[in-house]
Amino acid sequence: MTTALRRLVVNPLILKDALARVRTWRAPAVIALYLGLLGVFAWEAFSTQLVGPQRPFGFAEVGSNVFTALALVQLALVCLVAPGVAAGAISGERERQTLDVLLVSCVPSFSIVWGKLVASVAFVLLLILSALPLFATVFLFGGVDGGQFVETQVLTVTTALAVAAVSLFLSALFRRTLAATVVAYGLTFAVTAASWYVGMMLLSSGHIRASQALLFANPIQAMLTVLHGPAAFGPRFGGAIAVVSGPGQAFAVMPAPAAAAGPAFQLWQMTVGIELALVVLGVAGTVLLLRERRVLGRRPD
Amino acid sequence: MIEVQGLHKRYGGRVALDQVDFAVPEGEIFGFLGPNGAGKTTTIRILATLTPPDGGTATIGGVRVDRQPDAVRRLMGYMPDFFGVYDHLSVVEYLDFYASCYDVPAARRRRVAAELLELVDLADRGGDEVDSLSRGMKQRLCLARALVHEPRVLLLDEPASGLDPRARLEMQELIRELRRMGKTILISSHIVPEVEELCTWVGVIDAGRIVEIGPKADVLGRAAGRRRLRVELAGADDARAAEARRRVAAWPGVLAVEVGELGLEAQVEAGLAAHELLRDLVQAGFDVNAFAPVDAGLSDVFMRLTERDA
Repeated sequence: MTTALRRLVVNPLILKDALARVRTWRAPAVIALYLGLLGVFAWEAFSTQLVGPQRPFGFAEVGSNVFTALALVQLALVCLVAPGVAAGAISGERERQTLDVLLVSCVPSFSIVWGKLVASVAFVLLLILSALPLFATVFLFGGVDGGQFVETQVLTVTTALAVAAVSLFLSALFRRTLAATVVAYGLTFAVTAASWYVGMMLLSSGHIRASQALLFANPIQAMLTVLHGPAAFGPRFGGAIAVVSGPGQAFAVMPAPAAAAGPAFQLWQMTVGIELALVVLGVAGTVLLLRERRVLGRRPD
Repeated sequence: MIEVQGLHKRYGGRVALDQVDFAVPEGEIFGFLGPNGAGKTTTIRILATLTPPDGGTATIGGVRVDRQPDAVRRLMGYMPDFFGVYDHLSVVEYLDFYASCYDVPAARRRRVAAELLELVDLADRGGDEVDSLSRGMKQRLCLARALVHEPRVLLLDEPASGLDPRARLEMQELIRELRRMGKTILISSHIVPEVEELCTWVGVIDAGRIVEIGPKADVLGRAAGRRRLRVELAGADDARAAEARRRVAAWPGVLAVEVGELGLEAQVEAGLAAHELLRDLVQAGFDVNAFAPVDAGLSDVFMRLTERDA
């Protein structure tokens, strides 16, 4: 194994950060809270659609709707957790006054950033893995196939990676963890829930082009099209926009405009691609900040 | 082993280093003295590859710090003035982590950690959490951390800052032991007695400029060239004290005279015949209680060279 490859896999920061993270009371607390919230949502979704004098949906529809609710809640929780663990990764080292010592070691800047990213996302992956049994209950009802399940999980993981990479960049850019965390949460909210909501508003008021532009590569939209809509999107990629019409109701899907010539990518694939590009940009930006010592640290006397 | 030539660094409009030149021979303990803000930390950070210089060159073991930082990092160990430790890691895990950061093979890391903990007298604390150690122990652990890759040069920025007297002495003994092991050590400090006791070479920096440098004996020898005399007078009122001050100041070879609580303190040339000055004062009717040279230590050198900051 070459040194570069070895540093990707056997990175001292991954083990150190993982050890330090799991030894705090916060790790089990976050896992318990995460699973608890997902469990409550699953219970609520099942009970809304299965219990009562009139059962409006068939089993497959119940399975599909509950899976959609769980996938969206999981995406939301991942977007809540990822900035929290990644936005303090570099600024925390600076605040703890351990960054200089790390920078004079033989670990290259890329390995420091890669180790921090993997350590942050590893915790999110642990959350996602721990929720798999909950997702498995949906398969008792049908309505979701294996491909959809894999696509939603891939989308969730790449979203976590992108959010963590951008948060990591902010962590190197800002001196304080608090500032990095606030900006990271603000950005995450803006490009996920807020942009999706505004996109829906634009769609309902007939501004289809503006809506498509805003919802392009939105992970919520990508998740919805994986589960409920035609998988392509936009004039070039020939797609549709899924609209949630209300809790517990089916998703209305806009008819897709005619596809233009050229390769057609599914929206979730586009989203994953753009999120991975964001990861590359986030990592590259963080590496540059570390290399150039443009971190806004203290000046020596 | 360490060579700095024409080093220049500017932060905005402020010049932090202005043509700094010095060299530290192999195996010496170099005390880098200067008041706060003089440029000590900037120099050390440039040597540690943490801050790029605006001009000049700095080499460690013949390797330019700005051109081959990776090679320099393998040659030197760095201990910053302020440093933190990781929570929830044991002392052994802490050293193991840094050893892996320096590519020390996994099979050797435990042995390296054990040897270093023995060296810094923390062998019985290996399983303790780093955060539970006292300040002095953390300082020694940080020094052990700087040694995990067996560097030839150590850059220690204020290594004894914040330590109690006992911990400070232990740290000094540890640094002497490291010199016996062949390390070249650069210590930045503004604590003059610490440098005087510990270092074999001394450099004084003030306002970004080197104002004195050399082997400690030479620096002290040069200071002795402008020695000080203390003259204590018995029963002298202000008028008599002023008269004595005028008389001493007029004596050939006397450079300056100050009036203190105990009497007069005169800065004189090395060749001044002190006994003649004493005889003159006695013959002039002054009751001289004491007439003695003041030892010219590193503190005098430091105060004289940096007096505009006082």
